[in-house]
Amino acid sequence: MVKEPLNIIITGVGGQGNVLASQVVSAAAVQAGYRVAVGETFGVSQRGGSVMSHVRLSLNRPCGPLIPRGQAHVVAGFEPLETMRVLLDYASAETVVIMNNRPNYPLGCLSGEHRYPDPERVEEAVKKMTPRLHVLPATELAKEAGSPLAANMVMTGALAGSGLLPFGRECFISVIGSLFQGIVRDLNLQAFESGFRRMDG
Amino acid sequence: MSLAGVCQEKAGVKVALTGNEAIARGALEAGVAYAASYPGSPTAEVLGTLSRVAKQFNLYAEWSVNEKVAMEGVAAASFAGLRSLVVMKADGLNVALDFAGALAISGCRGGMVMVLGDDPNAHSSVREEDSRNLCKAKHLPVLEPSSVREAMEMTREAFALSEELELPVVVRCVTRVCHASGDVELGELVRPERKPDFTRENRVITFGIKLHAGQESKLARAAHLVCDSAFNSYTGPENPERLVIASGPCYMYAQEALEMLGAGGTTGILKLGTTWPLPEALLLEHMERVPEVIFAEEVEPFVEDNVMALAAGCLPGKVRFYGKRSGHVAGPAGPGIGELDPDVLAASLGNILGINYSPGTIDNKQEALSLLEDKMPDRELAFCAGCPHRASFWAVRAALELDGRGGIVLGDIGCYTLGMARTGYYLLQTVHCMGAGIGLAGGMGNLSRFGFDKPVVTLVGDSTFYHAAIPALINARYHNSNFMCIILDNETTAMTGHQPHPGRQHTAMGEPAHTVPMEDIIRGVGMPYIVQDPYDVEASIEVIYDLLRQEGPRVLILRRSCVLAAVRGKQKDRVYVNEDKCIGDSCGCGRFCSRVFACPANVWDAEKGRARIDEAVCNGCGVCASLCPQGAIMVERGV
Amino acid sequence: MERGCEFGMPGQEQLQKEVMDRDLCSSCGICVGLCPYIKTVRDRVKVIYPCGHEDGTCYMVCPKTPTNIGNMDRAVFGREREDQALGLFSGIYYARALTGKPGGAQYGGAASALTGLALREGLISSAVLTGGDIKSPRPVLARDADTVARCAGSKYTGVPSLLELNRAIRDGLTDIGVVGRPCQVVAVRKSQQGNLPGPQYPSSSGIGLVLGLFCFWSLAPELYGFLQLETGGEEIVKMDIPVEGPVAYTRAGKYSWQLEDIRTFIKKSCNTCFDSTSEYADISVGSTEHDPVWNTLIIRTGKGLDIFNLALQKGVIEIREYPPERLPLLRRAALGKKMRVLSLLEKDLGNTGYITLPEKYRRDLETQWGGINQ
Repeated sequence: MVKEPLNIIITGVGGQGNVLASQVVSAAAVQAGYRVAVGETFGVSQRGGSVMSHVRLSLNRPCGPLIPRGQAHVVAGFEPLETMRVLLDYASAETVVIMNNRPNYPLGCLSGEHRYPDPERVEEAVKKMTPRLHVLPATELAKEAGSPLAANMVMTGALAGSGLLPFGRECFISVIGSLFQGIVRDLNLQAFESGFRRMDG
Repeated sequence: MSLAGVCQEKAGVKVALTGNEAIARGALEAGVAYAASYPGSPTAEVLGTLSRVAKQFNLYAEWSVNEKVAMEGVAAASFAGLRSLVVMKADGLNVALDFAGALAISGCRGGMVMVLGDDPNAHSSVREEDSRNLCKAKHLPVLEPSSVREAMEMTREAFALSEELELPVVVRCVTRVCHASGDVELGELVRPERKPDFTRENRVITFGIKLHAGQESKLARAAHLVCDSAFNSYTGPENPERLVIASGPCYMYAQEALEMLGAGGTTGILKLGTTWPLPEALLLEHMERVPEVIFAEEVEPFVEDNVMALAAGCLPGKVRFYGKRSGHVAGPAGPGIGELDPDVLAASLGNILGINYSPGTIDNKQEALSLLEDKMPDRELAFCAGCPHRASFWAVRAALELDGRGGIVLGDIGCYTLGMARTGYYLLQTVHCMGAGIGLAGGMGNLSRFGFDKPVVTLVGDSTFYHAAIPALINARYHNSNFMCIILDNETTAMTGHQPHPGRQHTAMGEPAHTVPMEDIIRGVGMPYIVQDPYDVEASIEVIYDLLRQEGPRVLILRRSCVLAAVRGKQKDRVYVNEDKCIGDSCGCGRFCSRVFACPANVWDAEKGRARIDEAVCNGCGVCASLCPQGAIMVERGV
Repeated sequence: MERGCEFGMPGQEQLQKEVMDRDLCSSCGICVGLCPYIKTVRDRVKVIYPCGHEDGTCYMVCPKTPTNIGNMDRAVFGREREDQALGLFSGIYYARALTGKPGGAQYGGAASALTGLALREGLISSAVLTGGDIKSPRPVLARDADTVARCAGSKYTGVPSLLELNRAIRDGLTDIGVVGRPCQVVAVRKSQQGNLPGPQYPSSSGIGLVLGLFCFWSLAPELYGFLQLETGGEEIVKMDIPVEGPVAYTRAGKYSWQLEDIRTFIKKSCNTCFDSTSEYADISVGSTEHDPVWNTLIIRTGKGLDIFNLALQKGVIEIREYPPERLPLLRRAALGKKMRVLSLLEKDLGNTGYITLPEKYRRDLETQWGGINQ
């Protein structure tokens, strides 16, 4: 049963392209006839901070751009630490999490003042909170598709392949196809497919 | 995200647009002829969108040198009878305020809309401001959209209202509207004939107090008109026990909050889309029916104060007010500070209504956190991997240490504002507004007569240089103030998404421009200058050191394209670590690249005790390779 | 060899406190390029960022950190000295270049000639020199004799040329020659001691031949401003500072001053320098203070003797006996400086500052100074 509204959070680090991913989801949703509200929290966008997109889909009612605490149904985390951060505020035990396993280290960790938690422990901690966790090597899959920067499309593919959204692959493909051209389109579609296959069965 | 959606010819179609795109679409549906802006978040993409469709719709779009000039150009088009749009962030209104105040007196002809982007929480601004107070001070009518859909509709309708009132109309949008996206139902696109008309007969004068009286009567008329505006609406029970007056996206939050509290049956919401002048009759009509009124707005208690003033005159003592003044409506930072959201409103409303609100959560959070063993590290903002500013700041820091006289560093507004933090080695000591660094440096540089003996350095970006630095530079030359101005020229307005400026070869519309090189300006002012590539860090250190030891006002241009613009569409150079050469943490390096240089692409492989390059982050600038004491970082040129 | 202080491991922080903050840095350049945290521009050497290490090679190799003269003697020569004035040596001569004396060379051109020979014969792979012109001297790594020739001629301001040594070692060069001031020679010898905190100096020494210069002090670059004013902006093509006082030659003619005129430009660190004849070099080269076409040459080590003999054999230099009546003058100058430095260090820094003098050395020094000063 699809929630009404369906609350999705896409999170990551500035530069990972998760705003683009949220736009793809929202455009696909509108194409499928849904009402959409997306709230982007990206601040100084390209400059390494936490980035979070709230995507809310509904059949008929307008929603505000922000999801209330504890009410995210699906979280697509492009980065383990950011996934954890979002879950602490917005998840419930039923939240389904799709997480890229590739860390992006904050400056404080690079400088040695803080420690980036052991990735396996992050995974355990996430699983503790939200047992419905899917981990995938999105950055590695993107590299295979041609560029590590296409990890956002791998994650979008995984979201589409999860069966959690009320519309299918075709809507996504048509949106991605209209947003890009030439080899960039091919790369993004390939990345999308690779994420989709990961989750679909 | 969808230029196709913005240009969609068919009315009635539903498309997903961002708030900024929706504003652009609204302007197109109103037949806008002339649009200008200086880029600023959260509204930067409005003009960006219009400039890309300018030719298709036969409109003129420009990235102006600053907001005041933008507003003046737009006003001129309006004087000539054309519909025109000026876009800026809250800070931009401060720059344009002198003209805005005069324009509100003279009035306009063709519909003129000012889109003002306020940034509650200062997500992408140096400070949080509520520009509605300035709009009120300048007698400008204000509309406030609550959603993406409404942003489009309000922009479209604001032109007509402006023509009716012969006053510019402000559409005040907050980040949660501009940077949101949502489905909108498109209206009719119009392509009116452009017939500018301004003859010797036309006079647009601002002189004398008679015009002030005219302003007041225009506003009185506006207050009357907005009572019937479709942008103001009531939802809720017929006889509510209390009323929430909400504006902007707080309307959406309030709805959701009441739903979460289960209080929708007793509490009504009056959505105010026209927040200045207030629709007084409409407000009084609603307030007469309730003993309690709650305000939900961002950021400061603007509607609240004005409604309370209205009630004090018309309904004295009848209504109890809850809001920021009473301390009831407040986020974690306190009433009137930071943005609101559904949870903050639910907690605030719950508190007033006596309903306990506890947001959904996970029971075993603490248990999960304890599994991490480490504290969750914060994510600081940083210059992008490969950003030339990082190299520039490192060179400035090194030169200042070498100089050894405790030189001071004054900052400005742009990406390099982050130079106040780790990524700029905490160098910046002042950050105020566009161009302020040069003015401040001029002042500091005049203090030597009182024995001030520290070298003064000010850093300014290229776009900021054109925007607001030039008068201060002239002043400094005129008075022979003693400082060094470093222009961090990354050849674009990087912070807001790479908009062109007068130093570039193209205009917003992609037409060839008459470039105004900054060297010509500096030469014209009569200052000596040197141009240096900051990626050559060693040479930059030497140049800065030598300049520090000179006297008088002097300029260094550290020129290197923003790396994000430079690598776009190109194969990046591959940077990697030769692990045999890397000496890691030992004396002679001490993890310089990852520990000190603060480039997010330089990561540390703790297991191997060696540096590593994160290829998903690295932009291939190669500066770390030039600084690595062991020559252990290799650069493979992209093909 | 004694390594620093008794408490904790000395590193960058102490280097800054004990040397740089006290203006004792002589801009030798040995700490520049060992790491990214110490930088130089012109003659300035500064810590620009804390390295985060408690112990550091920079401190260990700095000629102005604690230095035990007895230990240094044993490490370089395998024995202690008798002559407190000139240190250990096997021969002292007048010498001058016969072939390949470059136009710009000072006095007899022996330093350039010997360096050029060592390069040509493959005894060294390269040579760390001070090049550039009088006004803007700069570090140079010469790979061929032509470059050596271009670097000929004394420079009178401190140039951190040893940064080139560090760079050359990092680039994998071995048998690198060094022509340097006494402080630089001490630094190079310290870098050869092994057992350093960092891996910057490989255990198999990268150092070939060390030619040390006589040096009583070097000057701050502000000197150039002074000279420029004095010469009315004319270009200075050559300079010398004989006992009578500094002279500068422009194309128009000769300008001369009293030593007192330029004393304010003497680097503070040079007032605390204990070594004026490069006592730890393989060969020391200086003026004669007497005859401008000859150099003084002091042959100190076996390696020094070998190149000296080769130079004679190849006819690169010719030599004369060092005039016996002049030796006391040279010794007196060297001893006098040591006595001045000791009293200054004792006054300013307590004990003997960074210099540790074995008891016997101290006694001998006083005796020899007493003997010669009468």
